[in-house]
Amino acid sequence: MKTLAMAALAIALAACSSAPKPAAEAPKADKAPVAKPDYFKVDASTAGSVHGKIQFRGKKPARKKIDVSEDPMCAKMHAAGLFDESLVVNPNGTLANVFIYVKSGLEGKTFEPPKEPVVLDQKGCGFSPRVIGIQTGQPLNVSNSDPVTHNIHPMAQINRAWNQSQDPGTEPLKRRFVQREVMIKVKCNIHSWMRAWIGAVEHPYFAVTGANGAFELPDLPPGDYTIEAWHEVYGVQEQKITVKASSKEEIAFTFKGE
Amino acid sequence: MEPNHRNASITTPLVILMLSVPCLTSCGSTKETPKTPAAVVAPVGTPVEIQTPLGLPPVPIPPGNKPTADTIALGKKLYYDTKLSADDTISCASCHGPAHGFTDGLPVSTGVGGKLGGRSAPTVLNAAYSPVQFWDGRAGSLEDQAGGPVANPVEMNMPHEVVVKKLNADAEYPKLFEKAFGPGPVTLEKVQMAIASFERTVIAGNSPFDRYQFGGDKKALSAAAIRGLGLFKDPAKGNCVKCHTIEEKYALFSDGKFHNLGVGMNAEGELSDLGRYTQTKVEADKGAFRTPTLRNIAQTGPYMHDGSAKTLRRVVDFYVGGGNSNPQLDKDIKKLELSGREREDLVAFLESLTGEVPKEVLP
Repeated sequence: MKTLAMAALAIALAACSSAPKPAAEAPKADKAPVAKPDYFKVDASTAGSVHGKIQFRGKKPARKKIDVSEDPMCAKMHAAGLFDESLVVNPNGTLANVFIYVKSGLEGKTFEPPKEPVVLDQKGCGFSPRVIGIQTGQPLNVSNSDPVTHNIHPMAQINRAWNQSQDPGTEPLKRRFVQREVMIKVKCNIHSWMRAWIGAVEHPYFAVTGANGAFELPDLPPGDYTIEAWHEVYGVQEQKITVKASSKEEIAFTFKGE
Repeated sequence: MEPNHRNASITTPLVILMLSVPCLTSCGSTKETPKTPAAVVAPVGTPVEIQTPLGLPPVPIPPGNKPTADTIALGKKLYYDTKLSADDTISCASCHGPAHGFTDGLPVSTGVGGKLGGRSAPTVLNAAYSPVQFWDGRAGSLEDQAGGPVANPVEMNMPHEVVVKKLNADAEYPKLFEKAFGPGPVTLEKVQMAIASFERTVIAGNSPFDRYQFGGDKKALSAAAIRGLGLFKDPAKGNCVKCHTIEEKYALFSDGKFHNLGVGMNAEGELSDLGRYTQTKVEADKGAFRTPTLRNIAQTGPYMHDGSAKTLRRVVDFYVGGGNSNPQLDKDIKKLELSGREREDLVAFLESLTGEVPKEVLP
């Protein structure tokens, strides 16, 4: 479908006499579908990696209680209250839910999208996980484990935005993103407090920090890279790093609170 | 196109003339004229007026099928009779039964041999007021509609000529048809006319809402339902009334038009049923379905054309969420800003729309 759409676009562009120049990537042939892209193969004998931790400095803000009165079923699930998770500081002083990815340095290389889907679940009237990374072209499965109806709404700016209602017990929604977008804010149109973030990149070099605040980007071909770390509250930071053959590079990011 | 158009305008009066001539010549005499082409079938008895409850306008009656006591009674017998199906198992009431507000309480219906239909059975209640029938509007009248499910392979699965043969051979029906339509055999047209006349009496009104809105009884609705009515009408809140209409003196809760809410999306986000588009082939009609009435809605779940919404709360949540995005989404479908209490109030209002059904229409 995608290749057909691209071919159609190429034809449309070519047909328009005032188009100054054809898009560089557009295939020359007018109808032959683009063959399977020439996927880049990482040479395991020279591949290196980048790893590190996301530190948090400053005062850890008190967690805010969320008003879940929009839905009595959600309120029932959280008798003790549901708390805002936009900032999760781990016991070891690191930050969870940070999206780290290779921002530049991989230009010209095309990576095959994994067939294994990334799962975004709606559970306990929240998205789980809150932050996910996905490769463009990789399947995204959105499931609903709740006894209530949700309406997932990825508010994409570069990719196509969509929203779809999902009743309890229905099969997962299956979608893909086609272009890099860091990050896509995700809402539930029915439960205003629900929030998730999706980082879509065109290669497999991304990670999301968990309970230990650590990340690793393995199997990186040697090269000069810009690594970016994104956090929902504190924004983005980037660092440059050179990965030599078979080297394990370490970098640290620090986000400062109030 | 021009010459054709001119031809059409010339032939039309001729056709009318040809149709009226046999009637003029035969009506005065008692002699049968069996070979007369296109004899106009009409009920022979005295037309009766269908009494409407509070909140409903007069029932629209086609000039050619004014209901009589005999056509209504015959239609009722046919409506509840399983003989209209291939294996004598399914009647109209099987899927449009009084126990479920003249639907069947199922997402999609089960026809002859356990076959499943493609869409949820719409209620027959107040179908008399709808300018078109079926979710996609493919029938222009109740008469046209009545023949559809009988022949549909996944519904009653009986070709029309078989139905007619079966009824003509029946011990009771031929004389009931003669009583209703005068001498002559049972025909499909008469079957459809009789069922349609019965269906015009299957109406519901005088609900708590009607007594509040049109009857001046300010105690007929709960406080929650009154708030719900306000939200239902408020363009900045529910705006439900935009399609589920309420007039000054009556309320049908349907504009009789077709709208795309994005219901029936598959997992990949594509419309699985193109609805009105299947009839019109107009791009904008893709995924659009006829606005259903909301009368007796508490009895007619599950909801939507595919029966996908199990409860009224789920229906409200669906609208709060702004439906499902798709290229043909109706411009009036938007995310709604409604608090939890407001959502409950809307449900309370919808539950106040359950009205009385005349006892004569029950089996």
